Amino acid sequence: MSSSAPHSPPLLALVLGGALLSCTGMVQGGRGTPSTSDSSPNPTMTLGVQCDPSPKPGRSPLRRLNQQEYKHTISDLLGVDTSIVATFPPDEASLGFLNNADALVVTGLLAESYMTAAITFATAAVAKLNTLLPCDPASAGEEVCALAFITAFGQRAFRRPLAADEVALFQGVYQQGRSGGGFADGIELAVEAFIQSPRFLYRVELANAPAGGQNVVSVDGYEMASRLSYFLWGTMPDAELFSAAASGKLSAPADIETEVRRMVRDPRARRSVAEFHNEWLGLGELAGATKDPATYPAWNDTIRAEVQQEGANFVDHVFWEDGRLETLLTAPYSYLNQDLAHYYGVSGPSGTAYERAEFPANQRAGILTQGALLSALAKPNQTAPVLRGKFVREMLLCQQLSPPPPNIVITPPDVRPDATTRQRFTQHSKDPNCAVCHQLMDPLGFGFENYDAVGQFRATDQGFPVDASGQLINTDVDGKFTGAVELAQKLATSAEVRQCLVKQWFRYAVGRAETDDDQCTLQNLGSEFDSAKHDMRELSVKIASSDAFRYRSADGGGN
Amino acid sequence: MLLRGAGGALALPLLTDLDPRLAHADMPAFPKRFIVLFSPNGTIPGAWAASGSGPTFALGDIMTPLAAHQQDLIVLQNLEMSAALHSPGGDAHGLGMGCLLTATELLAGDQFKAGMGGAGSGWPGGISIDQFIANRVGMATKFPSLEFSVKRMSGSIWSRLSYRGAATPVAPEDDPSVAFDRIFGSIGVDPALLARDRQRKISVLDAVVGQYAALSPRLSKSDRTKIDTHLAALHDLETRIKAAAGSLPATCTKPMRPALTATADVTYNDSGMEVVNPSADVDVPERHQVLRSLLVSALACDLTRVASIIMAPSRSDIVLNWLGIPDSHHDLSHHGDSDTDAQQKLVKINQWYATQVAALISALKAVPEGTGTLFDNTVILWCNELGIGNAHSHTNIPFLLAGSAGGFFKTGQSLKFPDGTAQNDLFVSIAQALGQSDVKSFGNAQYCKGPLPGLAV
Repeated sequence: MSSSAPHSPPLLALVLGGALLSCTGMVQGGRGTPSTSDSSPNPTMTLGVQCDPSPKPGRSPLRRLNQQEYKHTISDLLGVDTSIVATFPPDEASLGFLNNADALVVTGLLAESYMTAAITFATAAVAKLNTLLPCDPASAGEEVCALAFITAFGQRAFRRPLAADEVALFQGVYQQGRSGGGFADGIELAVEAFIQSPRFLYRVELANAPAGGQNVVSVDGYEMASRLSYFLWGTMPDAELFSAAASGKLSAPADIETEVRRMVRDPRARRSVAEFHNEWLGLGELAGATKDPATYPAWNDTIRAEVQQEGANFVDHVFWEDGRLETLLTAPYSYLNQDLAHYYGVSGPSGTAYERAEFPANQRAGILTQGALLSALAKPNQTAPVLRGKFVREMLLCQQLSPPPPNIVITPPDVRPDATTRQRFTQHSKDPNCAVCHQLMDPLGFGFENYDAVGQFRATDQGFPVDASGQLINTDVDGKFTGAVELAQKLATSAEVRQCLVKQWFRYAVGRAETDDDQCTLQNLGSEFDSAKHDMRELSVKIASSDAFRYRSADGGGN
Repeated sequence: MLLRGAGGALALPLLTDLDPRLAHADMPAFPKRFIVLFSPNGTIPGAWAASGSGPTFALGDIMTPLAAHQQDLIVLQNLEMSAALHSPGGDAHGLGMGCLLTATELLAGDQFKAGMGGAGSGWPGGISIDQFIANRVGMATKFPSLEFSVKRMSGSIWSRLSYRGAATPVAPEDDPSVAFDRIFGSIGVDPALLARDRQRKISVLDAVVGQYAALSPRLSKSDRTKIDTHLAALHDLETRIKAAAGSLPATCTKPMRPALTATADVTYNDSGMEVVNPSADVDVPERHQVLRSLLVSALACDLTRVASIIMAPSRSDIVLNWLGIPDSHHDLSHHGDSDTDAQQKLVKINQWYATQVAALISALKAVPEGTGTLFDNTVILWCNELGIGNAHSHTNIPFLLAGSAGGFFKTGQSLKFPDGTAQNDLFVSIAQALGQSDVKSFGNAQYCKGPLPGLAV
């Protein structure tokens, strides 16, 4: 790092005065401010919280379908091509997830995109009218058939039966299209209106009225069906869920659990789990990873796509075949094709198909040491220990680190032939102003120095032996370690990491950041996760069948 | 391609038939336009500021590309973002970006992380000036406003410039060919077909709007805001579709459909930092040109009177390789004042953005309108989320006006305002320039002292 970085006096005061306090922030309800002097911080965030058995759902803000959910829902509802959705303005992101209820609002461009897409979808759907209709207008009569369509299709579009005034409204829309053209035009217009309705685009939960003075109310069967299907599948409920909703089989916890266990066996659950990991770990961000070809000649677009596929395959196999968080973090194997096996210097796979391959002893452990994350968390021409350390802090330990303060040089020090990466970053530890924050990141990131910026293993850096020793502080698994394998093994034993995973899944499931109201729910989920021997599959089942998931706040998003 | 302005040939009487509000408006000979251009990461004040005052002022280094237009400029020095200085939390870039056009504090919240361990923040707390003006003047045109972004960006406090109201970011057009279809798609299409298409959309929207209106009162306050925002967007859309009948001047020339589609989604890591991707930036100069030409055509066809271009998001890590600068703009902006190499690069980068501003001025000057040009009836605001880049300051923001908005502003001058003068007052001046003489304050009224002195003729 350049020594020319000036520090303005007020900044200095803030850094020195604030110590670690100025490096970390917590989302509401998170663990207390960490402190270096406390070598064994309380691993759970709920010490001292008395949890009574009454359900506490927390805020229940109105949720809009995000782009993925919208696309899958249109596909399931209408069976039409959904590629036009790629032209929509991108969803707003919050806390790393794309389904945050408070971030998803609709302004002009998106409203118009919905309209344009609705015309495209309705036209395509009506092009195969007979598959859309529950009846034959020629024999049943147009009016009768239109009514039957509105009733049946409307229930699927709104994910609950239509009220009488809604039926009448859509009959009116049908009539307008019918009178301007033919029967198909009427159906087309109705479809267009259905898929722009708030009951389609949002998950409206208003069915049950709260008892007098109560702010907690149970969701009804249809609302529960949608909660389950969007959490576990990222799309609308299927026929079985609708039928369970209609027959009251989605209120008792045991019934819900039965349904949930059926749902997680469905391929749609794999898609949703993949999406969670993409958003949580940023596995999708690899699309932009560009490397300097002179430094890393082995890296190219094919390898980039393959390491991304490797990450997706690994998550899929581990989650569904093993399920344990420890395996995600420490598996000494991955899923490779011949190309990637060659890239990693591993023997075994001999074709284009991805198959399980073991890494040499103590060379790699789990998702953190795969090409996908290692190349995403690196610069074009060098590794990025800071980014790698920061990733572990934020994604795995749920500790938030602040961006660097103003008025300093944050360009990584230039690559030099006479120094290792680690040596080039020494200013971070020497300068107390830097060290105050960087002691949380760099010593973790140095543990990954055996992997270059494209994820290949290296024993030397610029001809010097790699020093991959590091130290964890400010966690429940503090201590020295050497190399990412040892670091991953330590993290795999951390209660804080487990609690962080619970928190990440919770955010993804309920579409919002946790609040104080959620402490007991998170604590219970943490205990259940422990009881399930850290089986991540059980975690999603437990969230879906938790008390919190069966209730809502009567005042929705609040106020 | 010859473009013609909206004067004369535009069927204004037809519009007043469609929208009775216009019949009472003080209708100038030509419509006035307001355009915002945003570039990121602060400036180098010494290279930006003009020296001297009055018509003989000298432009700073960064402004040299604008020399040909010097007499059309007003250099505004020493304006601050008071709202950013008083916000409860937020990262310096996001704070500046969120307060820039809203002139209102950010909402408290934890959606966006903070710098220096301070509190995070929610979305901005109010409407932005461009949307405010669009609400007043936008119903006369097919689009109340058009928002463009050179790069495709997930929505966040760092990437959005315009707001419909508190916590309601406006997503910009980031795909030139999709934008073309939306803006110009109906030009030249058989009127009978268009009329049918319009009727169809209105039938559906009528039914849809009714459902949002019926749902809204059943919701809690925060959920109701969400549905009401959607409802307002639908109302705008419907009004626009209905008005389209009369608002396409026969003289409007449809531009060529651009081949460019959106950039790859700019991705952010968990702290909202853009992931650097130099190879994705190579076509950025072309994208500026394409969006600018769409914008000028849309203005010439009077399809809108309010527009913005986010030339790069706040805190942008864009690499301006075509200037021979291989570094990320944001990284460079952190270097200290003593790093002359970085300072020179930053001047060069800001000069390049000034070149884009100059190119827009020239393009507007090339569109005849009455006896003058479209530019005569336009005011452009060039702005930034920070003052000094490496200090991340929210004072002395580099605000520049170009164009007199139909003779309202006295251009060709450099003005330095007393400490504590907020951009709120600049926005009052701009609203008044756009014919909204009743506007006496904007954003958080506590920072308002009235329109900026010395601006109006």
